[in-house]
Amino acid sequence: MNQPFSAIKLPLEKTELDIGFVALTDSAPLVVAQHLGIFERWGLEVNLKIQPSWATIRDRLQGQVLDAAQLLAPMPLAAQLGLNGNQNELINALNLSFNGNAVTLSLELYDQVKAINGGEDPSLPLDATWIKQIVDYRKDCHEPKLKLACVYPFSCHYYQLRDWLIKAGIRADEDVEFLFIPPTEMTKALANNQINGFCAGNPWNTKAARENIGVTVLTSNDVWSQTPEKILSVTRQWHAQHPNSYLAMVAALQQACNWLKSTSNRFEAAVMLKEYIDEPIEVLAPSLIGDCLTGIGHYNRHLPDLLSFNQEPFNIPDVEQGQFLLGKFMASGQYAGSPENAKQAIKEVYRTDIYQDVIGILNQLGEE
Amino acid sequence: MKAKTRQINSQQHSLTVLIIDDDMNRAESFQAALADSPYIVKHLVHTSVSLLREVEKTEPDIILIDIESPNRDTIESLSTISAYNPKPVVMFSEKDDPKLMEASIKAGVSAYVSADTQPEKTRFILDVAVARFNEYQKLKDDLVNAKRQLESRKWVDQAKALLIEKQNMTEQQAYSAIRKMAMDNGQKMEDVAKNLISMMQLIGGNE
Repeated sequence: MNQPFSAIKLPLEKTELDIGFVALTDSAPLVVAQHLGIFERWGLEVNLKIQPSWATIRDRLQGQVLDAAQLLAPMPLAAQLGLNGNQNELINALNLSFNGNAVTLSLELYDQVKAINGGEDPSLPLDATWIKQIVDYRKDCHEPKLKLACVYPFSCHYYQLRDWLIKAGIRADEDVEFLFIPPTEMTKALANNQINGFCAGNPWNTKAARENIGVTVLTSNDVWSQTPEKILSVTRQWHAQHPNSYLAMVAALQQACNWLKSTSNRFEAAVMLKEYIDEPIEVLAPSLIGDCLTGIGHYNRHLPDLLSFNQEPFNIPDVEQGQFLLGKFMASGQYAGSPENAKQAIKEVYRTDIYQDVIGILNQLGEE
Repeated sequence: MKAKTRQINSQQHSLTVLIIDDDMNRAESFQAALADSPYIVKHLVHTSVSLLREVEKTEPDIILIDIESPNRDTIESLSTISAYNPKPVVMFSEKDDPKLMEASIKAGVSAYVSADTQPEKTRFILDVAVARFNEYQKLKDDLVNAKRQLESRKWVDQAKALLIEKQNMTEQQAYSAIRKMAMDNGQKMEDVAKNLISMMQLIGGNE
């Protein structure tokens, strides 16, 4: 380790923290901060707790079983608006990762696209117009709708998948069927043709491509650009009680994100992640180093921003991010309340003001 | 217009409980605890896709699920996404402090039960979950109804305003005209109003 990770001694209200996360490739900042001893330098003794579902991680954060948690970017705003479980005050303290999702089709569906294209492989990223033709064909033949899976209703995966389909004229709410199943079950369901495709984060796309049970035809960068995917959240109440512990935790994670700028460091992160995700390194590493495996016998795509952990200059949560997500809630029929109400909720969740203190500290340390 | 209310009453008829748990012993102890009660128990160890099919088929009145099950997200998505009737979900946990978890779901549709709870208590917890769910559902329905009435009134008001302006009617005449059209055509006033508005906008170039 050739980087010092300097820290400032803050008067911490709490030093032993339980941070919940879902074991995915994009939890790298948490794992890195733990393994490189960055949390420790800030005086924090962190227990990383793997959580089985987004619903449970949310409940445990709200029930204060966890001090902080990695959440899907739309979750705090959904909670604040009372859309997801009960109305709860969660704040977005830090953007942990950007992009990283992809759409993988079953071999059967991919072959249908290929057949329409005269037996040729279609160019990638795949234009959803191909899917539209299959959707229309299935409708004409009274075949069941295409089944597409995501992991959670308040997730970028779901909105990205919808946006991709809608752009090609597919009516997302009528022409296809969405299912929500745990990511660990995606590849199994795809292999059994219980679903025709899915949109999820890694390592699940890489795993499907590697094991020749699907073809990854689209990444989230092809639909949206540089979008926060996972965030670090605490409850408003927790922040009020532990302002310094919060600053230390966010500063440590920002340093971990900075460390992850380097591609070779990201490969190291893949090795660290192996301890938490039961998949081989050839499944964990590619998305971290910008390689989108598409499928056996296909050209892979090199996309440097496939999954990133940085936004220049800092990973500041931003109200624009909230407005963007609100638009997605509305477009998918998840929010129909008043715009004023939503505007207020966004202000409560995206606390750029608090993050300014973290920037102040990092600037003192001369961190880039 | 009243929104369709689905209230569950454990006094009147038997209720189907769907237990989602990979631990056979624990599921059996829940089953034993609920024997000789109005609850009919079905146990399921399945992957999410077949779980969805099973929920559709069984139409359970209550779902009992392990908090450690990754299928929780699938169960939650049922009430978020589809038109599927929401159900009370009771979670059991061996690790979490039920008091803490209870705090996080205050008035919600879910309840937590500790897995080492005595079997006799299970039935009581389910009863409470059903009662609380009904209460919550009623609140939600009332809210939906109030909102719908407000919206419907807005349409009628707008149509009235157009009739007053374009057809020189009094407010009473405009109202009577809309009501008569609704009665003659067997339509809701709200729908008549919407038709009137789009028609008048079409003819009159009104924006």
